[in-house]
Amino acid sequence: MKTINSISVLCLCAAFLLPCAVSCESSGDTAKPVINLIEPAEGDILVIGESVHFEMEVSDDDALREYKVEIHNNFDGHQHQASVRSGEEESVPFYFERTWSDISGKKNATVHHHDILISSNATPGSYHLEVFLTDASGNEAYLVRNVELAYEGGDHDHDHDQAGLF
Amino acid sequence: MFAKRFLPAVFLCGCVWLPAGAQQQEADSVSKTVSLDGVVVSAGSYHKAAERASSLPLEIADERFLRQHFTGNITQTLEHLPGVHSMDIGQGFSKPVIRGMGFNRISVAENGIKQEGQQWGADHGLEIDAFGVGRITVRKGPASLLYGSDAMGGAIEISQSPPPEDNRVFGEAVVMGRSVNDALGGSLMLGIRHDGWYARLRYTEQRFADYRLPADTVVYLSQRMPVEGRRLKNTAGFERDASLYAGYKTGAYASSYTLSRTFQKTGFFPGAHGIPDASRLADDGDARNIDLPYSLVEHLKAASRQQYVFGDGRATAWIDLGYQRNDREEWSLFHTHYTGQKAPEKDPDRELAFTLDTYSASARLRLFSPGSRWEHTAGWDVQAQRNRVGGYSFLLPSYDRFTAGALWLTSYHPSPELSISAGIRYDYGRIRSDAYTDPYLMAYLTGRGYTGEALESYRWRSYPVSRRFGDFSGSVGFVWTPGGGAHQFKSNIGRSFRLPGAAELASNGVHHGAFRHEQGSPMLSSEQGWQLDAGYTYESASVRLSVSPFFAWFSNYIYLRPTGEWSALPHAGQIYRYTGAEAVFAGAEASLRVGLTSHLAWELTAEYVYTYNVDERVALSFSPPAGVRNTLSWTGGGFSVSAELQSVASQRRVARNEEATPGVHLIHAQADYSARLGRTRVGLTLSVHNMLNTAFLNHLSFYRKAEIPEPGRNISLIIKLPF
Repeated sequence: MKTINSISVLCLCAAFLLPCAVSCESSGDTAKPVINLIEPAEGDILVIGESVHFEMEVSDDDALREYKVEIHNNFDGHQHQASVRSGEEESVPFYFERTWSDISGKKNATVHHHDILISSNATPGSYHLEVFLTDASGNEAYLVRNVELAYEGGDHDHDHDQAGLF
Repeated sequence: MFAKRFLPAVFLCGCVWLPAGAQQQEADSVSKTVSLDGVVVSAGSYHKAAERASSLPLEIADERFLRQHFTGNITQTLEHLPGVHSMDIGQGFSKPVIRGMGFNRISVAENGIKQEGQQWGADHGLEIDAFGVGRITVRKGPASLLYGSDAMGGAIEISQSPPPEDNRVFGEAVVMGRSVNDALGGSLMLGIRHDGWYARLRYTEQRFADYRLPADTVVYLSQRMPVEGRRLKNTAGFERDASLYAGYKTGAYASSYTLSRTFQKTGFFPGAHGIPDASRLADDGDARNIDLPYSLVEHLKAASRQQYVFGDGRATAWIDLGYQRNDREEWSLFHTHYTGQKAPEKDPDRELAFTLDTYSASARLRLFSPGSRWEHTAGWDVQAQRNRVGGYSFLLPSYDRFTAGALWLTSYHPSPELSISAGIRYDYGRIRSDAYTDPYLMAYLTGRGYTGEALESYRWRSYPVSRRFGDFSGSVGFVWTPGGGAHQFKSNIGRSFRLPGAAELASNGVHHGAFRHEQGSPMLSSEQGWQLDAGYTYESASVRLSVSPFFAWFSNYIYLRPTGEWSALPHAGQIYRYTGAEAVFAGAEASLRVGLTSHLAWELTAEYVYTYNVDERVALSFSPPAGVRNTLSWTGGGFSVSAELQSVASQRRVARNEEATPGVHLIHAQADYSARLGRTRVGLTLSVHNMLNTAFLNHLSFYRKAEIPEPGRNISLIIKLPF
């Protein structure tokens, strides 16, 4: 009998807590913003000494804040430092990092610029291009692309503003 | 009838946890630490006394519990108590979490001295020799009255086994093996008691290899990283501890002295440290080597207690003095993003170094007259700390911290059934951190085109901070045990406050692995809140039920808030700034133990924590998921065999940028044998943890973010041979 009493106390307690678990649901924004990176695409070649055609669509259910682009090498321990182009200075592994906040406050934005310049002394090889995005309440999203830094562009290159070059 | 025989046995064996209350433990630990006159308090009566004495819920882990759940890591052992969790980084580092609060909201005290380390650090564990622990009392709820402002979430009190009753030489040898990380550990203790003199020496060493996990890849910063041979590379480590304890008692005077040193060297998984780089994850053919990155931790502690009993026990006074030195270093192959920065000539790969010196003193006076219904305790605590930093990277500035507190506790027993206790404490704190500017960073930012205000805001790695805080904490509670004592009710309401820590005021840097840029706020107010606790216990011959709900409201709760801004520091993520918010914590623990037959018992424990950041309308980070443990155990003739189903609910109530973690069911089993050998007992425990080798994520693990699952199946064997 007493056992039954005890169990009923336990159930009562559970009954008290359960509604709280279900109904005191938080309603603050925890949804991540969304990145749709159009250019550069996966595996694209970024030409050393030229600027990168950067194009993406970003959105958030509430309001966007700012985004950052970072490019760093993915040499995986292989030494590329010695790679020297004939008659030129020694190359260095390329590193780029910059934040843009011109999307702040918008729900949707299309980003299109040529602000990222691959310096002419960049070591060719495989790199990561990362895009980081926040919304107004600090939810973040990020995306990584594998890109190649090379002296010559491949077939897949900037299509609209440089079409006349090829 | 069988149950009448059975229940006291359970109490004596002690694998029971009882909610009880606060104010008594100090006195308890005194009598236990220094009472050498042969009164050995049995486990059952200690539990009952502790339970009756105070109005806060508590859990007690005794020698048998500690052996049965031994892992070589004391925090992981405590995870088996309802309401207590372990926040892990792999196998090496763990810090305790009580009802969703951890870091500097929990105090750990060993033999009455509050343990001071780099407890605020995400990848810093607790420096306690797990082999030397005799009993642990966990106070859930505000323990600030006893331990000062850092104990608002609870306190963990660690004490050693009591000395033998008679004059003799004694000792203990323990060996431990674990399959999940090929760990081998051992500890040897030798002691002597002669009349009023008592001394004990302990040496412990543990070595472990990279641990096994049931996964082939993990994801770190969106990169899929291989786990070669299903072992997490470079998570090997070792630990070496030594301690000396001595006591003397004559008549009304007693004193005790402790000297201990713990040392740990543990590797970090390079796949979740710094920039993702798969080349560092190739199998190096040696699961036992500790390569870069790794961490070195050393903790030195010297403490003494002097106690005097006046007037046939009407007054007891004691003074504790302590010195602690904590060294923590993190080593990682020298790397920099600043062209001007060269590797230091000495220790080029030492990335971060902290040395924390802590001097502490406390005094207590307890007044109690036989036959009186009142008992009073007055106390005074003072602590001074100096933290110095080094290494080629920067996270936290050097700082000085001074705190002092005065307290008064009173308990009143109008009848044997009722006890009312109240207490008030005032704490004063001062913290000063040194300014630090980084010339390399400034050159780097200038080179990237930063000027003016933006440059100025980043140039200071740490602002000079000088702050003073002072506030009251207090509590009132009761314990009511009507009639024959089958039912017990208790409740406690307390107001607590906490001084912001140095990291919260003045940190400014990227913690490798955490990736985010953590920034202190020099103008933070102290943390303040009200905490309400209740407890109900029912006990009959065959049934024991305990329920302890709690509710806490904080007008100012300090947490790391994502700002939405990306840091200008190289390879840094979003800036997270320490911010105060209104917050709510609520939940309960419940346990039910039913003796089915004289040998068979079923136990159910359940726990739930709800956290809510009122300002942001989201949960707080690292909220423990709800959990239930079902344990069926058979005991008889020195043997005990048990099987446990542990169910962990999914955690979907998450803070921003924290992923939901799915739930899991785990099966554990255990066999324990204890036999009389001469006048001591030999203990042998074989346990299998995660029997089905289930791959699952732990919401509280530091490696959760990297989607690194918890360790796989673990078979462990502990042999304890006292002599």
